[in-house]
Amino acid sequence: MNRKPALVALGIGIALVASGCVAPPPSPGPAPQMAREAALLDTQAAAVAADTFARLTEADAALDASLLGDRVAGDALTVRTAQYKVARSVSDAKPEVLPSEMQALYVSAESSWPRVLAGVSAQPGDNLTPVVSLWVQDDIASPYSLRAWAHMIPGASMPSMASDVTGAAQLSVTESSVAPTPQEAIEQYVEYLRAGKGSELAAAFAPDTYAERLFAGRDVLSTAASGAGGAYSDTIEADLENAYVMATADGGALVFAPLTVASAFSVSNAKVSVPAADQALVEGTLDATVTHHYRDLIVLYIPGPGTGGLPAVVAADHHLIKVTP
Amino acid sequence: MTLRTSALVAGVLGLVLLVVGLIADSRRPDADVVASHRIDTPVAVLAPEIVGYEPLRRIAVEGDGEIVAHTARTADAEAWLATREATEITGLVTWEEVGVRAYVAPAPAVEPSPSPSPSASPEPSPAPSPSPSPEAEGEPEEPVDTSSTDHWRTTWHGQGRLAVFASAIPAGETFVIHTVNGGPLGTLELYAERDPNDAWITPLIVWGAILLIVGVVGLLYTLIDLRPWQRKGEEWLSRRSAKGEPKEGSRRARRLAGAQLPEVPLDPAPADAVPADPATAAPATTDQIPQADQKGGEK
Repeated sequence: MNRKPALVALGIGIALVASGCVAPPPSPGPAPQMAREAALLDTQAAAVAADTFARLTEADAALDASLLGDRVAGDALTVRTAQYKVARSVSDAKPEVLPSEMQALYVSAESSWPRVLAGVSAQPGDNLTPVVSLWVQDDIASPYSLRAWAHMIPGASMPSMASDVTGAAQLSVTESSVAPTPQEAIEQYVEYLRAGKGSELAAAFAPDTYAERLFAGRDVLSTAASGAGGAYSDTIEADLENAYVMATADGGALVFAPLTVASAFSVSNAKVSVPAADQALVEGTLDATVTHHYRDLIVLYIPGPGTGGLPAVVAADHHLIKVTP
Repeated sequence: MTLRTSALVAGVLGLVLLVVGLIADSRRPDADVVASHRIDTPVAVLAPEIVGYEPLRRIAVEGDGEIVAHTARTADAEAWLATREATEITGLVTWEEVGVRAYVAPAPAVEPSPSPSPSASPEPSPAPSPSPSPEAEGEPEEPVDTSSTDHWRTTWHGQGRLAVFASAIPAGETFVIHTVNGGPLGTLELYAERDPNDAWITPLIVWGAILLIVGVVGLLYTLIDLRPWQRKGEEWLSRRSAKGEPKEGSRRARRLAGAQLPEVPLDPAPADAVPADPATAAPATTDQIPQADQKGGEK
């Protein structure tokens, strides 16, 4: 009997058995749940804010808007550029101080673009209220850029927002789960500003110092223009295309709405003059008419259903960007 | 079958088991394996289910220049990858082979638009004009990532080689690796840990060795002539048993004397005893039975 083939077969069999001791790789299972679903982690949001304020510090020191890079854009860039122009022409005019220390950052839960990030700064001083800042990312290739800021209304408080684990849902301006819808609230508020404090729409909003100051300025300028045989008028428009809405924890909405305000002042048989600070922003030659152009931001809180309360402006700023004849 | 034969059979069986066990041990698969694949695109992506792939322990890339790895939300990674050429890692085909495919960005959700725009531009579009490219061949490739990095949650950098433990990647996030210079990524390695079914090898070797020892002992008994030793032992035993007289009163002495055996009187049977053969015997009377009993009781 020839044993060699048998031994070879035995060896091969053993080798096959031994090599068959490993199961094939398993198939991948389902994707695990993400622990933090917000668009930005708190560290990412803090990094965005820190980079923004680093650029602002550098640009403020040089009064050069080009140093702001892509971290500041839109209305914020327009306003800051105007402030640098004023600061360069008037020695004691400094750009508005924006505190870099944040006491809260509200991140979005959005998976598509644009996405927003809102921040509330620490209180910069005894006589100043915290600043609400708005960053927007237009697409994946663009960084979050500071688009606007506004100081909080004295006595106002920011609503509770979703945690940074889940992020706050971004709503459309036509979102109907809140009443009034953000678009209706913005339009009604603008109508209230146009009509003045005697408007019946005044009862639809909580009192705020932004509207009061606008009305007071209107009264003063109207009186002055009348005394000079001229007239004063202002036009207020809401920029709904650049309005952003974040859901609040109570089911309401926090609306960031830019406003364009143009204040036209005219006199008769005279030539208007503007303060030295505004002179740097004058485009053209002033004669009997001057129009101050402002780019404002109002932050409007619409309470959630069943929570009661009126829509309220919690932050607003009035920024001069241009003066034209 | 004698004990010795059984031992020999056990020895043969043990030898077979030991050989099988040793061969299997020499071919025992490693628990740690590395599967590699050459990635020709500048970007490779691992979906969350691959990052969380149970056997995966480490992801490494070896290439030229600076290599960067990031994690991001899946939606962000998909948006970032939509305009880039990338290779998607799909897992392990075998323990030595990485599963790959060209990355295809998921189609965006299409919302039905009520107002399709059928307008065609009345203006003729300018004809494409071929323009000679001023770029010379061999010019450095354009870097891949010149856009925002705000969406990256975690980032690792490496020069020439980058290795990231799978456990360091947060669950549910997509993992993206790319070169900074835009060149091909290089060799991607997946370090995995598997669970080979080899628990039977060591017991097989142990039991084979034990049985082989038993067989060897049996074989020794077969090969070595033990009769001289056996004879010596028997002689020793006989000598030990014949040594001197037992002590008086000892158990051995009593046994040899037979003192412990009871004395049994062997009286002749009486004339009227019951015959031994019941077939020829007359029927027993009732008064004979006690006698027989009585005799039995005297013993």
